[in-house]
Amino acid sequence: MKNSKLFWLLGLVLVLSIFLAACGGGDDSDTSTESETPEEETDTPAEGEESEGASGEPDAEQVLNLVEGAEIPSMDSAIAEDAVAFNILNNVNEGLFRLNEENVAIPALAESEPEISEDGLTYTFKLRDANWSDGTPVTAQDFEFAWKRALDPEVGSPYGPYMMAGTIKGATEVSEGADPSELGVVAEDEKTLVVTLERPTPYFMSLMAFGTFYPQNEAFVTEKGDDYALNSDNLLYNGPFMLTNWDGTGLTWTMEKNPEYWDAETVQLETINVDVVKETSTALNLYQSGEKDRAGLSGEFAMQYADDPEVVRELEPTLFYLKFNQERNGEETPLANVNIRKAISMSFNKQDLVDVVLANGSLPANYLVPTEFTFTEDGADFREVNGDLTGFDVEQAQEFWATGLEEIGETEVTLELLGGDSELAGKMDAYLKEQMETNLEGLTVNLKAVPFGVRLELDEAQDYDMQNSGWGPDYQDPMTFIDLFVTGASHNLMSYSSEEFDSLVEQAKGELAQDATARWEAMAEAERILIEEDAAIAPIYQRATMALQKPYVQNIISHPFGGDYSYKWAFISGKE
Amino acid sequence: MARYIGKRIIYMVITLALIATFTFFLMKILPGSPIASADKLSPEQRAVVEARYGLDDPLPVQYFNYMFGLVQGDLGISINQFKGADVTDVILSRMGPSAQIGFQGMLLGTVLGILLGMIAALRQNTWVDYSSTIVAIIGISIPSFVFASMLQYFLGLKLGWFPVALWKDGFMSSVLPSIALAMFPLATAARFIRTEMIEVLSSDYITLAKAKGASGSEIAFKHAFRNALIPLITVLGPMAVGILTGSLVVEQIFAIPGIGEQFVKSIMVSDFSIIMGTTIFFSVFLILVILIVDIMYGIIDPRIRLSGGKS
Amino acid sequence: MTQNYDKLPQGSFDRIPRDTQQAERISKPSVSFWQDAWRRLRKNKGAIFSLILFGLIVLMALLGPIISPYSPNAQTITHANLPPKIPVIENLGIFDGVGTLGGKEVDLYEMKNVDQNYWFGTDGLGRDMFSRVWKGTQVSLFIAFAAAAIDMLIGVIYGGISGYFGGRVDDIMQRIVEILTGIPNLVVVILFIMIMDPGILAIIIALTITGWTGMSRVVRGQVLKYKTQEFVLAARTLGASDGRIIRKHLMPNVLAVIIINTMFTIPSAIFFEAFLSFIGLGLQAPDASLGTLINDGYKLIQYQPHILAIPAFVLSLIMIAFNLIGDGLRDALDPKMKD
Repeated sequence: MKNSKLFWLLGLVLVLSIFLAACGGGDDSDTSTESETPEEETDTPAEGEESEGASGEPDAEQVLNLVEGAEIPSMDSAIAEDAVAFNILNNVNEGLFRLNEENVAIPALAESEPEISEDGLTYTFKLRDANWSDGTPVTAQDFEFAWKRALDPEVGSPYGPYMMAGTIKGATEVSEGADPSELGVVAEDEKTLVVTLERPTPYFMSLMAFGTFYPQNEAFVTEKGDDYALNSDNLLYNGPFMLTNWDGTGLTWTMEKNPEYWDAETVQLETINVDVVKETSTALNLYQSGEKDRAGLSGEFAMQYADDPEVVRELEPTLFYLKFNQERNGEETPLANVNIRKAISMSFNKQDLVDVVLANGSLPANYLVPTEFTFTEDGADFREVNGDLTGFDVEQAQEFWATGLEEIGETEVTLELLGGDSELAGKMDAYLKEQMETNLEGLTVNLKAVPFGVRLELDEAQDYDMQNSGWGPDYQDPMTFIDLFVTGASHNLMSYSSEEFDSLVEQAKGELAQDATARWEAMAEAERILIEEDAAIAPIYQRATMALQKPYVQNIISHPFGGDYSYKWAFISGKE
Repeated sequence: MARYIGKRIIYMVITLALIATFTFFLMKILPGSPIASADKLSPEQRAVVEARYGLDDPLPVQYFNYMFGLVQGDLGISINQFKGADVTDVILSRMGPSAQIGFQGMLLGTVLGILLGMIAALRQNTWVDYSSTIVAIIGISIPSFVFASMLQYFLGLKLGWFPVALWKDGFMSSVLPSIALAMFPLATAARFIRTEMIEVLSSDYITLAKAKGASGSEIAFKHAFRNALIPLITVLGPMAVGILTGSLVVEQIFAIPGIGEQFVKSIMVSDFSIIMGTTIFFSVFLILVILIVDIMYGIIDPRIRLSGGKS
Repeated sequence: MTQNYDKLPQGSFDRIPRDTQQAERISKPSVSFWQDAWRRLRKNKGAIFSLILFGLIVLMALLGPIISPYSPNAQTITHANLPPKIPVIENLGIFDGVGTLGGKEVDLYEMKNVDQNYWFGTDGLGRDMFSRVWKGTQVSLFIAFAAAAIDMLIGVIYGGISGYFGGRVDDIMQRIVEILTGIPNLVVVILFIMIMDPGILAIIIALTITGWTGMSRVVRGQVLKYKTQEFVLAARTLGASDGRIIRKHLMPNVLAVIIINTMFTIPSAIFFEAFLSFIGLGLQAPDASLGTLINDGYKLIQYQPHILAIPAFVLSLIMIAFNLIGDGLRDALDPKMKD
């Protein structure tokens, strides 16, 4: 009998503990606020240290702990195409140029600015003395090899032909299978690289900082064969850090300081520990427990932390807009009518969207080329030329709507809005639907949220009416946005075609390439036609990101294109 | 016995072959493109990439190649989630953590569930019974992602008893995910044991034992419990399925490098090789569990003979 | 032995004469199986309470969106993220419109100059949670009932045929079921949702595509058990057709099991729908179900607990109600439990 009593007691305790654990969440509002307060107090002294820290000495222990939102699909610079890989590549490898702390492309592996021929077509780069992480020198041949490899159809590089075709001489032909020796890239000797262009490219230097243009060591790549870049041991590094502890499929990796890096004395961080955390709430909990030094804040969380002293905001040159598909399955959609397009693009309140739904410092966008992205030589923003090209205006939208409906002879229109399957995308699309339907009588919007891979396929098949789409720059020039919508361009996929627009883009790429002012104006005019006149797309917002960052973390540099961040100059100060 | 097992294994292989066929053709009608950068690749490059993964062969050839590879344990190559990596390697490298939290969760849940079910049965229709039923139901009525994030927030962050997330501190890292996974087997076992115990308690031999003057605890453990436990084996299969479903959620929330977490991602990016490989892996696991359950059942319960006779 | 009668005390016993007319009389009132079951179910307080509770939830699911002055999808963006506020009850210190912002407690209604009361608060787009929760309950229940009904239909027919005809037919049909149960159902569900256009219909079909196997197994087992019993044999000897035997003799006996099994499929369907929301394959925005509402809310548990707590509470109530009703029915319908 004694035994049975003990058993009862044990059972009860177990039941009770489960019950408490399960019910703990019900009345959390009190407990959580109470227990949060001391935590905030402990934060305050840390913040005080920040002011000392900024000017103060770096700590003895230089370890940075970060989270990443997705795993690495590929570390091969020719194959890489996603933000995670480009970010790491930017920190473990280096090209001829690198974006510095002010986001200006400066010579990196190139010893100095290249010699440029009078016609702007031939660039001669002199390489500095630098080594791979295994001690072998980085040579001009490594560049030639890597670029030719990126163009080889057998390799299937997504960015190789995309970035080089039409820019580097012979790239288009080589990517279609021509003899690689026709490519205008020649290593004259170990330290001299001569690049011949198809046409003058004013932004060529910023391209050189992009991952696809990084060098690869031929001997090493050939030796590893199919195993090249499958894990951190099968890679060579020539950047500030070396990738370690990455098994190719895992959720964790480390970046360690590269002793062979030519500028190793600038690099202060010894180790960067990265873990993939896909849930924002988990990342935040890790940040609050002190295990991680930085955590991104998406929509729902952004508002809660708006006033937190540890918040860092960054405006990105990434633009989100609605694509209007004018022809679906061989038939014209109502969106082929310009007035319908104009009506929809003016029918939703962007200010409320960025204030309430996004709440992370994003800007309402009435333009295509983002603000604070490209500047003239005397520092004027490209946006100053055109300003706002459209805007939220219910009355005008309704006028256009009435005209449009009359022109297409309908009283009711049903359109599908294709979007991503993330929580934020769903919330944003629900908001857009409600706004459009409220402000335009007779419009029904059906939302369709699908996984990324499915969306790409629907986009390619042009099987949608409207699509919530985004674009970030590949190089520092308005052209990276504007030439998306040229007739037949691979991103157009909505049957938009304007001769005037096409010819302006052609001029800017061709005859005006050497004349900065005229080129600038041609691109601005093209942007005006696209948005103000044709309303081919409806800009929504320019994205900003918000993150919590511990005050002891200093000098992480964020970049507008290529890899998102540089840790080369980062250091820890005042953590202990 | 050996003949029975042999026969079952042959059935298993046939079932697997059919499942592989089924998933293969399902995959072909699945929307989405695994060549994620489709709009950047030129038609020539695309052809090359498709050729590399054998996507340009006629369907029967693709099917034959896949099944042939499968026999040799080759599940193909990841198309875009881990470009170029062997699917088999991906699954093997992700198996450990999943197996560990799955096993621990199952063990914890079953043991607690049995206790809970017994208490409920021995005190049928009293407040003890009702509250243990409610505890069990709350266990399954709070979605696992809510439960997991509560565990993380309270036990991990606020109390600091266990790591908040990540797979770094060995056993300690596995505690919270295991508890989160344990809820489903706990509820299943508790309900099952309760019903079985009630039935056993009302059977003749228990009445006899009572008449002979056996004590309450003696009846509960020696007679009722043992006989109630045998049928529990039959729900091990559904429990394993529950654990599998739970792992998708729990691994993602605790950022654990397991198979479930990786499977969700492969669906999102339409990596057909990985989706298929993982599906087949899950099926093998499930069929094995069912087989083991049947064999165990035959060994434990002498009333069931495994000569292949149909019940 | 006979003499012993004389020794009995006089008057203590009456002699009852044998009455052939009374011999066949049944002293207890005749009750059918269902009346008997209902009598036993009525004694089970938990089950009755659950029945009433469930009735109320269904009523609210139907009336809730109508009672509320706001439509479930109407957005008042300036009223976003308001905590619940109910007149009268607010004086008790709960549902009083006080929420936390940046770690401080504030009356958000005052702060945002909102005169209306949102009984369950609002979500991130300023939609009324009261009408959304009940609309969501309606959708979740619809999905669950539809899935359970289809499961039942297919499962009963399949299991019935398989069990009744036995032999080769049974063999083949069981192999098919074995294959279907060999594929983890979550994989099948996910794949089917991806193939079809996402939405309520896709979810229902995906849930039923493998869901019916459980039901078919149970039905088959029962049919196998009953078909060899004497009353079936008797009916067959009397020349009843297969269809008649199945309908009139087997089904009534199997019905109890079917009902009980259905009682447990409904909550698991609701639950699976919530799981699908988590991995992003649930209902399409802006439609709400309990699953999508909980999924929206769980991340905000530290800041906007009401967005999670209310739908989670309703979900738990439904689950508890169904499980208790199911338990009660099982006890009530089990002939062995007859008292």
